[in-house]
Amino acid sequence: MDPQGGASDADLLRAHLDGDARAFAVLVRRHRDRLWAVALRTIGDREEAADAVQDALLSAHRNAAKFRGDAAVTTWLHRIVVNACLDRIRRRQAHPTVPLPDGNRGDDRPSAPEPAAPAEDHDTALVVRQALADLPAEQRAAIVLVDIQGYPVAEAAAMLGVAEGTIKSRCARGRARMALALSSLRGHEPAARGDRGHAAEGNQQAAQAVSSGPGAGRPLPTSGEGRDER
Amino acid sequence: MTGAEFRGVDIDLLADYIGGALAGTPDESVVATLIADDPAWRDAYESLSGGMAAVQAELGQFEPEPMPDDVAARLEEAFAAPRMTLVRDAGDAADAVREKEFDLAKRRAGRRLRWVTPIAVAAGAVAFVGFGLDYLAGRDTSSADKAATTAGGAADSAARRDNNAPAPARAESGPGAAVAGKGEAPRPPQILATGTNYSAQTLALAPAQILSSRSAAAPAPLARLNATATLQQCLDLIAAANGAGPITTETVDYAKFEGKPAIVVRFTAGNGAWAWASGPSCGTVSGHADTLAKVPVR
Repeated sequence: MDPQGGASDADLLRAHLDGDARAFAVLVRRHRDRLWAVALRTIGDREEAADAVQDALLSAHRNAAKFRGDAAVTTWLHRIVVNACLDRIRRRQAHPTVPLPDGNRGDDRPSAPEPAAPAEDHDTALVVRQALADLPAEQRAAIVLVDIQGYPVAEAAAMLGVAEGTIKSRCARGRARMALALSSLRGHEPAARGDRGHAAEGNQQAAQAVSSGPGAGRPLPTSGEGRDER
Repeated sequence: MTGAEFRGVDIDLLADYIGGALAGTPDESVVATLIADDPAWRDAYESLSGGMAAVQAELGQFEPEPMPDDVAARLEEAFAAPRMTLVRDAGDAADAVREKEFDLAKRRAGRRLRWVTPIAVAAGAVAFVGFGLDYLAGRDTSSADKAATTAGGAADSAARRDNNAPAPARAESGPGAAVAGKGEAPRPPQILATGTNYSAQTLALAPAQILSSRSAAAPAPLARLNATATLQQCLDLIAAANGAGPITTETVDYAKFEGKPAIVVRFTAGNGAWAWASGPSCGTVSGHADTLAKVPVR
């Protein structure tokens, strides 16, 4: 029985700052499962996720005094963990590994799907996980927070340090890419691998086509992320 | 639905519309008009709306993902287990407070080893020295730290700097030099071999014997730390474990702590003056500061 179990997160952080050597551990214990799930699903690799969570929590431990209280403690912890994951993904992109034979390996993608789901829906779960893994990292992080972990858009925006509109856009675009990828994988299994890159690349073609289509009279925003950074 | 049939449709823009990201913006009406007027957009809208809803439903059914026991144990070890008793005032045991010895250096060293393993052990050693220099020169602020204080931080960019950090300067400096401020001419620490058996209560007291000579011989268990480079590495890791930036080492005493061979280092840093006892494995490449105790000196 943890004597500090009833304390609020803010109380625990304050106690940690006041020298209570056990307060931060209680805070970690309280949130570790959610932080882990976010890290694992964002980064997709168990060891990397473990390192990211550890680094992030060490940082939070060191910098607790700088927590301004603008957001909830758990939001602050999530932000640090997600940033740690995204930074690792960016680092992987900056130092790319040898491409896989199909040439479609994106370096922001997890090296493998997450651990297997229950046997009864194993195939569906694998396909969904793979489609999630194929998303750009920022879209994946937003979807993990909102669609999987169930955080409100506003809270996810605070966690990622972006506008709510950006979260909505990242989630929507990610879902759309996943929908296309899932349809491709399920409906055209033999051709699926060859089609994989389409969701990521096809939009640019589409955007170009749109610009000469019915909407050509007024310029449409590009399909990049510029518009959603509101 | 593969996307190929949506030629002429900006799928990202359509997704934004479906997901509500365009609400209240001029683009919302633009897309609404396109859906109303253009069959390609209308078909794409109908198809993609259902697909996105299905995806969202699938994602909502993901099972909880509890932290594995081994990862949880790592965190427990890091945050939950005070490993030593410290006294704020060595002269008043009643004021003794338990503080956590937080062996950050050990964890950093462990992570670094994983990062550099594919390159080479030698290259790893160079990078490690570079890291120490970078850190102790006050340039080590991991982006996780930034994330802890700012919106845009990202964790562990120290690792990037580790690999890019200049390695060679350390070899030109003696123990204590690299931990002094940039550009200063560091005063070398006094090297002692008092053999004193310190305790938590006496650690903060000045050494009883001053043998101001670098040639003071370390007893056998500490002989490894007699080498300048190894001693420097030990001091680096103590500085890292102290976590308050560069340290200025005043004395290094080859001694004992509660009967065990220990190197006792007195230094000042951003968080004050400290007496720090480390065991014989302090400064091994794969190791850590091997901290036995630390007390503030008043």
